[in-house]
Amino acid sequence: MTSIGTGYDLDNSVFSPDGRNFQVEYAVKAVENGGTSIGIRCKDGVVLATEKLVTSKLMKAGANKRIATVDRNIGMVSAGLLPDGRYLVSRARQETASWRQIYKSPMPVASLAGRLGSFVQMFTMNGGLRPFGITAIVGGWDSEGDMAVDGQVGAGPSVGAGGKASGKKYGGPFLYMIEPSGLYWGYYGAATGKGRQAAKSELEKLDLSAGALSLEQGVKEAARIIYVAHEDSKDKEFELEMTWVSGLSGPTKGQHQEVPKELREEAERLAKKALEGDDEMEE
Amino acid sequence: MIQPTGMLGEDGIHVDMDHLKKGEVNLGTSIMAINFKDGVILGADSRTTTGSYIANRVTDKLTQVHDTIWCCRSGSAADTQAVADIVQYHLGMYGVENDEAPTTQTAAALFQEICYENKDNLSAGMIIAGYDQRHGGQVYSIPLGGSLHKQTYAIGGSGSTYIYGFCDANWKEGMTEEEGIDFVKRSLQEAIKWDGSSGGVIRMVVLTAKGAQRHLYLPDNGYTGPGYK
Amino acid sequence: MNHLPQAWGRPRDDVYGAYDASHFQMSGPTQHSSRPIVTGTSVVAVKFKDGVVIAADNLASYGSLARFTDVKRLRTFNSKSVLGFGGDVSDMQYLDRLLNSLSVRENYSTSIDDSGKSDLDAHNLHRYLSKVMYKRRSDFNPLWNHILVAGLGEKDAPFLASVDLLGTTFSSPTLATGFGAHLAQPILRRQVPDEAASKELSQEKAVELIRECMKVLFYRDARSMDKYSIAVISKSGVDLKEDEKLENQSWAFAEGIRGYGTQVN
Repeated sequence: MTSIGTGYDLDNSVFSPDGRNFQVEYAVKAVENGGTSIGIRCKDGVVLATEKLVTSKLMKAGANKRIATVDRNIGMVSAGLLPDGRYLVSRARQETASWRQIYKSPMPVASLAGRLGSFVQMFTMNGGLRPFGITAIVGGWDSEGDMAVDGQVGAGPSVGAGGKASGKKYGGPFLYMIEPSGLYWGYYGAATGKGRQAAKSELEKLDLSAGALSLEQGVKEAARIIYVAHEDSKDKEFELEMTWVSGLSGPTKGQHQEVPKELREEAERLAKKALEGDDEMEE
Repeated sequence: MIQPTGMLGEDGIHVDMDHLKKGEVNLGTSIMAINFKDGVILGADSRTTTGSYIANRVTDKLTQVHDTIWCCRSGSAADTQAVADIVQYHLGMYGVENDEAPTTQTAAALFQEICYENKDNLSAGMIIAGYDQRHGGQVYSIPLGGSLHKQTYAIGGSGSTYIYGFCDANWKEGMTEEEGIDFVKRSLQEAIKWDGSSGGVIRMVVLTAKGAQRHLYLPDNGYTGPGYK
Repeated sequence: MNHLPQAWGRPRDDVYGAYDASHFQMSGPTQHSSRPIVTGTSVVAVKFKDGVVIAADNLASYGSLARFTDVKRLRTFNSKSVLGFGGDVSDMQYLDRLLNSLSVRENYSTSIDDSGKSDLDAHNLHRYLSKVMYKRRSDFNPLWNHILVAGLGEKDAPFLASVDLLGTTFSSPTLATGFGAHLAQPILRRQVPDEAASKELSQEKAVELIRECMKVLFYRDARSMDKYSIAVISKSGVDLKEDEKLENQSWAFAEGIRGYGTQVN
């Protein structure tokens, strides 16, 4: 994808004659070199997982987390340039905080994805800026319960509000992926980074659109997929980092949290076993 | 220093708040909103006064800020209209930006922010009532200081002080539409009767899954109709 | 009447007095006419050996009108601290949201292994609040509250302190705001005169003492009501009950009260 030195690749806000913005395409290259990150939208929650490549043995194991909490119910992970990812996280936190300040309630994941999409896109048009060198995965849970106004006092009728439409469901798990161009879509399963191809084909096998995969299964699949995606860069050491967010009745009660140590270790054990199993089959 | 003359100032723009407030058009009012079985009902009298002169005897104090989110206004007519206009704008924008109708909570939060942050300059007592499929009917009250209270039913304005007892004694939860309308009408009739700053016709808006429906009741037939069209 | 265009749309001088142009002075001071409108009355609290008990009634008054009877004035911040708000309800809601945003920021770290350690304790929270309150009073725009912060402080020791609308802070084994400072504090102090006494106090006794104070306040505070909230904060977390009713009231002696001095029938 070299631009053959036409000069059109130098400036972010200038098209090449065949209608391409080379700077964006180079940004995608940066993403393709990053550790694999995935997100799975399960029926009762979202799992985020990342292959954190260990860049130095001098860094403390388990420290320097790569998956960030944006608001209580939303998490975010990215592949590509780490500082770019941090910058987008800080922007996302600003967005959710200002949303809360205006509307006195948590920001829907879809609205956040929209705002971030616009923000990232802005960096592809303005001169003097360079596009984000990351692809970000945003996962969260919009509350399925009645929404209150933050700081609310009083409760309304003891018999409950009148005229609620019955049989309708609200809120639920949401997953979005935002690319350097500013393009974003909602996904059942999202993968980015070096091992994205392997991860995507594994995600497709899960038949996520059926909405049958449980959150706990999702955690195990996520661990396995990260291990599968790591196969191509086996020489490098990595740490598996996983977070999840469930509904109010689930294990995280609507909060975005790290997957508990026991469950993560169990998932990792199963992932390793599955990989070994593959090897044995090949023999 | 400009002489205090009663004319415009040199810049011809500025208005002295305190001076204006003295002769301001006031919604010395009786307003209320209730929850009922299928949604909410808003109600209000129609009197607007400047001192003891009735500036408007057929005022509409029930203001729409979104499809099925309405508010009752009490206090300064100018202030509450300005606040309602701002909220209406924001809710309209919310609807198109997020591809989803705003909830009553959203409206209440916006109303509160304006009333709280500008409490020093506003005299606005508002009741916000709305219906959405997810939360059903909801009633919020924002009194003078800018606090927000979720309520089963809310009463406000100068006339409300006369009907606290009546409403408390006659209130029951989960009323039918007919019972609800009757409750609002009888309450407002009492308020109109005892409060000199309330009077005229009784206006109501019923908010349910079917949308918004206006009601009107006139004093010259004992508030029996015409009802709704 | 003045028919000059300059007077159009203006309130009439003969009716409303001369126009006051003092506002044209741009250099004048900004005035915040802040005063509480919808208010909550007392909050009372006592430290006991394992934690703190705090209570406040569920009333928000509008002047003397008992306007809102379901206002929960005890707000839980996290598993280690509860705030009791007296004073303006709109400012309480403002602070509630401010602390909510603080709490969101505190939870940006996804790590759950050390979440217990990184939680803000009641001591941190009180220090933060005192800075907010003092800043606002220094801007001549105070938040019209008197707040009790109850919970666990350093090394999970029981913590109780107050901060008021001026940013004044105070700490004691027993505390009460508003009317409670006059009526409940003496009762509390008689039972718990010092730190040593609070270290001897059991949870049951502390709860009983606070309930007794709520009763006295209901008897003598004209801005109180008989429905209240009570919270116990200890190592096992926050136990908050928001719909308590005053019990064992004493009114029957009214029967023996006749006339106002000499009358016997």
